[in-house]
Amino acid sequence: MLNLDFQKRLNHFLLDITASFQNEIIILFGPSGSGKTTTLNCIAGLSHPDEGQIELNGEKLFDGKSKVPVQKRRIGYLFQNYALFPHMTVQKNIQYGSNDDELVRQLTEVVGIQHLMTSYPHQISGGEKQRVALVRALATKPRALLLDEPFSSLDRQTREQCHQELLRLHSRWQIPIILVTHDEEEARKLGDRILPMDQGKLGSPDEFW
Amino acid sequence: MQIKLLRLLAFLIIIVPLAGCSASSEEKKSLTISAASSLTDVMKELTDTYETNHNVSIKLNLASSGKLARQIEQGAPVDLYLSANQKWMDQLEAGKKIESETRRNFTSNHLVIIGAQSNNELTSLQTLANLPPESQIAVGEPESVPAGSYTKQALRKIHLWELIEKQLVFASDVRQVLTYVESGNVSYGIVYMSDAKISDQVKVLTEIDPELHKPIVYPGAVLSDSTYKQEATDFLNFLSTKEAKEIMKKYGFQS
Amino acid sequence: MLTMSYSPLFLSLKIAAIATLLVFVAGVILARVISRNLFPGKSILESVFLLPLVLPPTVVGFGLLYLFGKNGILGKWLMDWFGVQVVFSWIGAVIAAVVVSFPLMYQSASAAFQNYDSNVENAALTMGASRLKVFFTISFPLAWPGLLAGTVLSFARALGEFGATLMIAGYIPGQTDTIPLAIYFAVEAGRMEQAKMWVLIIVALGFSSTLWLNWWTRRNVLLFNRKS
Repeated sequence: MLNLDFQKRLNHFLLDITASFQNEIIILFGPSGSGKTTTLNCIAGLSHPDEGQIELNGEKLFDGKSKVPVQKRRIGYLFQNYALFPHMTVQKNIQYGSNDDELVRQLTEVVGIQHLMTSYPHQISGGEKQRVALVRALATKPRALLLDEPFSSLDRQTREQCHQELLRLHSRWQIPIILVTHDEEEARKLGDRILPMDQGKLGSPDEFW
Repeated sequence: MQIKLLRLLAFLIIIVPLAGCSASSEEKKSLTISAASSLTDVMKELTDTYETNHNVSIKLNLASSGKLARQIEQGAPVDLYLSANQKWMDQLEAGKKIESETRRNFTSNHLVIIGAQSNNELTSLQTLANLPPESQIAVGEPESVPAGSYTKQALRKIHLWELIEKQLVFASDVRQVLTYVESGNVSYGIVYMSDAKISDQVKVLTEIDPELHKPIVYPGAVLSDSTYKQEATDFLNFLSTKEAKEIMKKYGFQS
Repeated sequence: MLTMSYSPLFLSLKIAAIATLLVFVAGVILARVISRNLFPGKSILESVFLLPLVLPPTVVGFGLLYLFGKNGILGKWLMDWFGVQVVFSWIGAVIAAVVVSFPLMYQSASAAFQNYDSNVENAALTMGASRLKVFFTISFPLAWPGLLAGTVLSFARALGEFGATLMIAGYIPGQTDTIPLAIYFAVEAGRMEQAKMWVLIIVALGFSSTLWLNWWTRRNVLLFNRKS
C-alpha cells in the first residue's frame, strides 16, 4: 500500500500528486516533461517534495519535516537507460545490493539470464540489459518497484517478451509497481490502473479510456 | 564586423611602420644603455639630467649584469654596457664585444647589512654568527649575483660562510633581497649601500669592511657593434663629471 | 660537471609528488561535490579555482607571499599555532606547486565526474549503498581515466613550477632548489653545461609522463572499442 499526497514546485508548473496504490501495476501515462520522472524520484527519495507526505506500508517515508534517506526506503528503481554499472560483470551488478544468493539464483532462472553472468554490460543486448536491470532491482527485495520508460529502446519482439516477464514477476512478487510510459498500447496491456498525467496533475483513469 | 577588423589590420600594417620610420628619421639620436639593475634609480635621474642638456634620447635596459652580458653576446643592439662587476665585462672584452679603450670604472659601492626598522642592532659582520639558527639572512645568489659573490668573499674571509650557510636565502638579484627584508619575511639581508638608501622600510645595521672582498666597482664600456659610438662615449664621460658624481652620491654610490 | 649535485632532482620529485597527492585529494573531493550540483555562485567559485592557470606566476607568487609570508594572515597563523614556516622553506615550494597545478586537476576531475550517466549513482543509492560506498565503487572507478589524466598533468605542472616557487620559497640549496630553479641560476651564473643537463632531465621527465598518459589513454580507448 503506497499513499502519495505531495506538492513540489517545478520550473513551469506545480507538481501536485494525490494517489493511493495497492499491490498493482500502475501506469503513469503522459507527454514528456509532465513531471512523471520527478514523481518517481520523489517516491524513491532521490529528490524531495516541498510539502506533503509519502507513506509505504504504514511507514512515513516523507512528511515535510523528516525524510527516510533513499538507501533505507527499499524501493526498486529501473532507469530508462538501465543504468547498469559498466565496469562490473552482470553478476557483480546483481549482487551489488543483495547478498541473498538463493534469491539471485531464482530470479536469474526465471528471467533466463544465467548464461550472461560473467559478461559486461556493453557485451549484451538491449533486451538482456533490461532483464539484468530488472533482476538487479528485485534482488534487493524492494517493497515497491518504479520503472521509468523501461521498454522504450527495445524492438517490438523483445518488448513483447519483456512485458510477459514483468507480468510473470508481478504475479509472484505482490508489490506496487509504477511504470512510466508514453506508449498507449503498452499502458493498456500492462496496467491494472492507468493514470494520465499532464502539467504535474494526475487525471482520473476515465479520461484515459 | 569582419570588414572593420580587416580595415584595422590594414591600418596597422601600413601606418605603424610609417610611424616608426618618421620617428627614427628625426634628428634626435636614440642611445640604448644596458645597465645593471642595482643602477636602476640613479640611472633614471642621470639620464633625465643628461637628456635635458643633450640632443639624444636614452633607452634604458635594466637587468642583472650577467643577463645583460648574455643579451649582448647574442647580438642585442646596445650602445653602452654598465656592469656591476668585472667578470662579465672581462668576458665581453675577451669576446671582442666592447671597445677596450673606452672601458673604465665609473663608480663604486659597498655592502651593508640591513634589517627591518624595528630590528636589533648588529654591530658587525661577525655578529651574524650569534643569530639564533631559525633567523634567515637573504643574500644574492653567489654565482650569478655580484653582490652575492662579494658577500661570499667577505664571509669566507672571516670563516663564517660554512657556519651560517644553512641560514642563507639566495635571491635572484639584490632588489629581491631588499623586498624580502622589507616584507619582513627574512630578518636580515646583505645589499649594496645604494639599495639600502632607496628604501625607507629598512635600516642599515652595519657596514661591511670593504677590505674583506674585492673592490665593488662598476665598469662601463662602449660596445663594438654600437651605431652611436661617439654619443655613447660622451655619456660615459658624463658619468665622471662632478654633476653626475653628486647625483650618484645621493643614491649611495661613491666615486 | 662531476661535482654537480643531484639534490634538485630528488627535491623536485619529492615536492611534485607531495603536491600532486594533495591536489589529487582536494581536486577529486571538490570536483565531485561541485561539478554535479547547481548552486548560486558556482561559476564564480569555479573561476577562482581556475585563476592560477591564467595568472602570471609572479602574481600567484605575490598572492602566496601575501597570504603565507611571516606577516601574512595564514603564515602568521601557521607559525603561531604549529611553528611551521612556509616562506623560504620546502613547504613553500609545495604550496606554490599545489596552487598552480590544482586547476588542471580540478578541470580534469570535473569533466571526469560528468562523463558518465549520473543514474548509475542513483541506481546504487536505491539499492541501499551509502554515499561513501557509491563514491568508491561507482563514481571513482568510472571517473578514473579522467582523474589519472589530471594527476599526470598536475604532476608535470608541479615539476615545472618556477615563478611562484622562487617568490615564496626562495633559493636555498638543498631545501628549495628544484630543477627549474637550478636551471635558472645555472644560466644566470653562466654554467651552461649544467643548465643543459637539467633541461634534458626535466624535458625527459615531462615528456615521458605525457607520453605514457597518451599511450595509456589510447590503449584504453582501443580496448573499450573492441569490447563494445
